[in-house]
Amino acid sequence: MSQLTVDSTATWKQRLEGRVPPHLDEEIDIFETQIAQKRQGKIDDKVFAETRLRRGVYGQRYDNGQRHDGTASRALEYPCGDLTKGPNTVWDAPGMLRIKIPFGAMNGEQMEVLADLAEEYSDGIAHVTTRQDIQLHFIHIDDTPDIMRRLAAAGITTQEACGNSVRNVTACPMAGVCRDEPFDVSPYAHALTWFLLGHKDAQDFGRKFKIAFSGCAQHACGLANMHDLGAVAQVRPTGNGTSSGTERGFKVYVGGGLGAVPHQAKVLREFVREDELLPLAQAVCRVFGRLGEKRNRARARVKFLVAKLGIEEFTRLVDEELAILPPDDRWSAYLGDLSVTDEAPTRPAATLEAGERPDGFAEWLGSNVQRQRQPGYVAVAINLPLGDLTSTQLRALADTTRRYNGGHVRNTVEQNILLRNISEADLPALYAELREQGMGEPGASSLVDVTACPGTDTCKLGISASRGLAGELRKRIATSIKTTGVLADEAVKDLRIKVSGCFNSCGQHHVADIGFYGVSRKSDGRTIPHFQVILGGQWTENAGSYGLAVVAVPAKRIPEAVERIAGLYVTEREKGESFQSFIARVGKARIRQLLDDLTKLPTYLEDRTLYSDWGDPREYTIGDLGVGECAGEVVTAVEFGLSAAEREVFQGLLELDRGAAEAAAAKAYAAMLQAARALITTENIDIGTAPKEIVGEFRTRFYDTELFFDPYAGAKFANYLFRIHGDAETDSGEEAHRRIEEAQLFIEAAHACNQRISELQAARVA
Amino acid sequence: MDMESALVSDLDTLVKFDLKVLAADPAEVEAEEFIPVFHRWITERVLPELLIDVADYSHVHEGPGVLLVGHDAIYAYDLSRGEPGLLYSRRHESGAELEGIGSLDDRLRSLLECAFRVCDLIEAEPNLGGRVAFDRHRLELRVNDRLFPSDKATAVTLAGAFQRALAEAGVHDGDAPVQVKRIGESRERLTLRTG
Repeated sequence: MSQLTVDSTATWKQRLEGRVPPHLDEEIDIFETQIAQKRQGKIDDKVFAETRLRRGVYGQRYDNGQRHDGTASRALEYPCGDLTKGPNTVWDAPGMLRIKIPFGAMNGEQMEVLADLAEEYSDGIAHVTTRQDIQLHFIHIDDTPDIMRRLAAAGITTQEACGNSVRNVTACPMAGVCRDEPFDVSPYAHALTWFLLGHKDAQDFGRKFKIAFSGCAQHACGLANMHDLGAVAQVRPTGNGTSSGTERGFKVYVGGGLGAVPHQAKVLREFVREDELLPLAQAVCRVFGRLGEKRNRARARVKFLVAKLGIEEFTRLVDEELAILPPDDRWSAYLGDLSVTDEAPTRPAATLEAGERPDGFAEWLGSNVQRQRQPGYVAVAINLPLGDLTSTQLRALADTTRRYNGGHVRNTVEQNILLRNISEADLPALYAELREQGMGEPGASSLVDVTACPGTDTCKLGISASRGLAGELRKRIATSIKTTGVLADEAVKDLRIKVSGCFNSCGQHHVADIGFYGVSRKSDGRTIPHFQVILGGQWTENAGSYGLAVVAVPAKRIPEAVERIAGLYVTEREKGESFQSFIARVGKARIRQLLDDLTKLPTYLEDRTLYSDWGDPREYTIGDLGVGECAGEVVTAVEFGLSAAEREVFQGLLELDRGAAEAAAAKAYAAMLQAARALITTENIDIGTAPKEIVGEFRTRFYDTELFFDPYAGAKFANYLFRIHGDAETDSGEEAHRRIEEAQLFIEAAHACNQRISELQAARVA
Repeated sequence: MDMESALVSDLDTLVKFDLKVLAADPAEVEAEEFIPVFHRWITERVLPELLIDVADYSHVHEGPGVLLVGHDAIYAYDLSRGEPGLLYSRRHESGAELEGIGSLDDRLRSLLECAFRVCDLIEAEPNLGGRVAFDRHRLELRVNDRLFPSDKATAVTLAGAFQRALAEAGVHDGDAPVQVKRIGESRERLTLRTG
C-alpha cells in the first residue's frame, strides 16, 4: 500500500489554513458560530435571516416547508423539525448561494473552485446572474462556511451579496478593451468594491444598494442609469487652459433603479475626479444610511429618498457629509497601482488570415466577436443558455482561457461570459474548442439570447416561469432563424428580450426592447399564468429609458405574441426606424389590438394547456372545481371591475404616449380607484363612486384587515392608492410614468387579493 | 492502526458519492420527458425519502439533464459526457432507510439499492412507455468530496469495496466479478467505472 499523503479527517478550515485572507477568515468563523448558536436557539430568527443574507445565503422556493402539487399544498417534512433559518424558512430546505464576482472578472483558479463547489454542494450548474454574480442552487446552510472558505482561498467572497448591503459592483465587461471608453473602469470598480465591503458607513441601510460603472455613456454595458449609484468614465482638460493635459473622472448618477416601479437616475455630479470617487460614494452611503427609509421596505431604496428630497437637497446633504468625513488613505491609495485589474494578452496580436474554417464559424464570428481597442485582439462572447454552464464546462473554460488569454473571463449582465484579449488569428481554433465544449453557440447579445431571472424555478417571489418561457423562446427563435421565419429578419436580430418572473424586475424587463414580467389571472375558477408585455424600454445609452406594460398575455401564448410584435416591426417599420421609435409611432393601442385575441381565455375543458406554466406540468391554480356558483358570480363581478381598471390604466398609457402627463396621472388615479372599488363590491355592493368614500372603505375593509397585503411586499401596493389619493395632480412626465406603473401594480395586487378571497370563500363552502 | 486500516476507517465516514447507471439505449427518450414524471413522483411520494423539487437543465450541453431534488440525494436523468444515465448523488443520510450505515461496504450496498430502485421505477414508468432501459453492468462510482484523497491507495480500497457491493447486488460478469477501473484525470474526483 502506498503512503497516504492527505489526511481525509481534516476539515476545510484546517486544510485551507493560511490561505484564506484573515479578514474573510474571521468573517466566516463568525458566521459558523452564528449557525451553531441558531441551532441552539440563541439568535432571533429575523436577526439570523439578515445575518445569513449578508453572507449571500438566500432562501429558495419551498423553504417554508410547503409545496403545491397543482391540486393541494402538501407539507415537506424536513428532518430538522421546527428548526428555522429565518421566519418561515426551514433549516434543512435547500437554498441559493449568491457569490459576488466584482465587475464579473474571474480567473482560472476561481473558475475551477466554482466548478468544484457546484459539483460537491449544488447541482453541477453555475448560474451567471444579471448582476455578473454566480449563483449556486440547492445548497444546505450547514455547508456554507466550508464553501465560503474554499471561495475565499481563491479570492472570492459572498459577503454582502444579499441583504441590505452594497451588492456586487458591476461594470462594463468590455472595460479595458472597449474602443469607446476614455479609460478602463475596472480598477475603480475593484477599489470601490473592497473599500465599501464591510465598511461601517454601509451597514445601516433599509434596503440593498447597487453600484455600476460604465466606460461610456452611449452603450448599455454598464447600465449606470438604473443603479443606486452609477459612474460613467470621463476625461477633461486639466488646468485653466494653460496646460494640455487631461484628468480622469466620472459623471456620477444616483437614485436609479428598476424594481416594481423603475426610476431613472439623477446626475449627482457632472464630473468627480478619480480621487474624489470613493469619498463621494462613502458620503452617499452615509446619507442613505441616515435618512433612507427603514420601516417600509417598499420605499427604502435610494431612489425613493432622492425622489422625496429632490436631487438638489440630496446633493446638499452629500456635500455636507463630504465636508465632515474623516480622511481615509484608501480614498487615493489604490490610484498608485491601477494595473491591479489588468489582464495582459498572452498571445501575440495577429490578424485573422483567410483559410479553412470550422462549420458555423462565420455566423459565430459575426455575432459573438467584437474588435478591441488593441489592434489584433478581439473579445469573444459565450452565449450561455439561461446563464447556465456545467462544472465540466467551467473547468474546460479555465483550461481554454489559460491557453488563449492567460485565464481570464468577465461575466456579463446579459448572463454570458466574455473572453477578452484573444488574438484574432486564434479565433478558428478557439471556436473549435468552445464548440466541442458546447459553448460555441452563435447569437450572443441578440434576439435569441433571452435573459431571465430564476422565476418560479427557484425564487420564492416568482409568479410565472421566466426561465421556462425564456427557454421556450430561445428554441422557437433559433428554429425561426434556421427556417428563415419572421424572427430571422435582420431588423429584429439585435432586439433584446428580457423576462422577469414577477414585478421585481430581476430579469431587467424594463430596459428590454420586448420585456415580460409574470402575473396571474383568474378564469373559469382557476388561475392562469400570464406575462405582462412591456414595450418601449431602451437597452442602449446605459438603459436610457424604461418600457411600460401594454397587456397581460397567457404565458403559453407569449411566443406567439413575440412573433406578432416582431412581424409588425418587420413589415411596417420606416427606414432606419429603431424598435423603440416604432413602438412610440404605432402606439400601444395598436399593439394591444394586435394581441387582443391572445388575451381571450378558453375554459379549462376547452384548453388545459394554458392552465399550466412553461416547463412545469402542474396545474398552476389552487382553485377548486367545486367552488359554488354564488362565489363564482361574485368573482365575475370583481373581475369585471378589475378589467375596467385595466382599461383605465391603458388609457393612461396612451395619454402618456401623447405627452399628456396630467391626464395620464389622472387615469392612473382613476384606475386604482376602479380596482379598489371592484374589491369593495365583494363586501359592500352599495359602494358609491366618490374617491373619498372608496379610499375610506378600502382602508377599512382591505388595509386595516391586511386582506390586501401582498405576502412579501405587505402594504406596498395599498400605499400607492393612499399616496395618489393625497396628491392626485401632477404635470411631471416622470411622475405620471411612475403612477401608471403603480396603478398597474395596484391592479395586479387586486387580482391577487381577489384570488385569496375566492379561496377563502371556497374553503368556507367546503 | 496501520495505514490501510486508517484509510478504510476514513472512507467509512465518506457520505457523498455519485453513482451513475448508464442508459442502454439513450436515443429513445428526451430528458424533458422526465419533468412530469418526477413532479408526479413528488406528489405521490413514490420514494421512501423526502423529495422536494424538479430542476430542468436539459438546455445545457452534456449537463445534469433533469433533476429530482431530494433532501438526502439528487436523482437525475444525467447527460454528462454525452452518456445519458440515471445519476444518484447522495448528500446526506437522514432518512429512516439510511439509518445505521456505518461502513463503506454498507454505504456502497445502499447506493446500489437506491439507484437500482429508481432505475426499476423509470423502466416501469407508464409515461415513458418502456423506452428507457438501464444497463446495470455499466456503472460509474465517484467520490463527491474533495476532502478525501484521490490517490492510488484510495482508488484500490474503494474498488475492492465496490466489487464486493456489486457482487452482493447480483451484478456479475458471467461467473466472474465485475471489473472496476479508474477513469478520468487525476485532478477530477476519484471515479471508478465497471467493465
